[in-house]
Amino acid sequence: MFAVVFAVVYVVAVEKNYALFTYHPAVGEFGAGVQEAKDGPAMYWYGWMATAGLAAFVAGLVASFLPEGLTRRLWSGWTWVVPVGVMAAFGYLLRNFFLR
Amino acid sequence: MNTTTVLLIIHGLLAVALLGAVTHQAMSVWVPARKPAGSFTGRFRSVPGAGYTNAIIVLYLLTAILGGIIYAEYRIEVRVVVEQLGLWKQNGAFELKEHFAAVGLGILPAYWYYWRQPLAAEHARTRAVLTAMLAFIVWWNFLVGHILNNIRGFGS
Repeated sequence: MFAVVFAVVYVVAVEKNYALFTYHPAVGEFGAGVQEAKDGPAMYWYGWMATAGLAAFVAGLVASFLPEGLTRRLWSGWTWVVPVGVMAAFGYLLRNFFLR
Repeated sequence: MNTTTVLLIIHGLLAVALLGAVTHQAMSVWVPARKPAGSFTGRFRSVPGAGYTNAIIVLYLLTAILGGIIYAEYRIEVRVVVEQLGLWKQNGAFELKEHFAAVGLGILPAYWYYWRQPLAAEHARTRAVLTAMLAFIVWWNFLVGHILNNIRGFGS
């Protein structure tokens, strides 16, 4: 559950910029949520991972309370199918870097 | 030699160890060999894969943490120059490195779960594919990191 939710939320967070926080490396400051660049570039990567990590943690917590009979019926392959799909999605989303 | 360069060297050394461990494990599940193996390649892939799991997880986490620390300096010192030089493919490859590293972090819990002893036979394919994914991610990130460092190293 964690792997699936993390991957999906991460790619959505990157595409929609749902960063939990922003880091400003030039001034060494963190800011809540998505912030504009100031005195240098704004970095959202840490915030995207935090968003995905939080969502996946909550999903995993909820899943831990589900009946074992239900969770056993889930196909284990989703733990790799979805992340592989997300990796392929990033290849597509960043294609312009390689097509210039 | 500044602090970032020292951290980069440690990051690289951890990555080398991780590269070896995850490649051994990937070969052991995808191209297993009979024991005792007679050749170098045979011995390379005849390792007990399960024994590498915890080391791979620890090395991945440490490598990723150090990478996350020096990433801020990369963003200012290196990526700006790469963009100014118009090296878009190299820039894009590093963008993929970031996202692949994140996805790899996301699959670590599942990877640990499916490599728990005793190994469940019905999850053999999941185990193998997760290992292959981590191996791909680690190899991509290692090679791309080297290329970008060759283009513009810290402190240059």
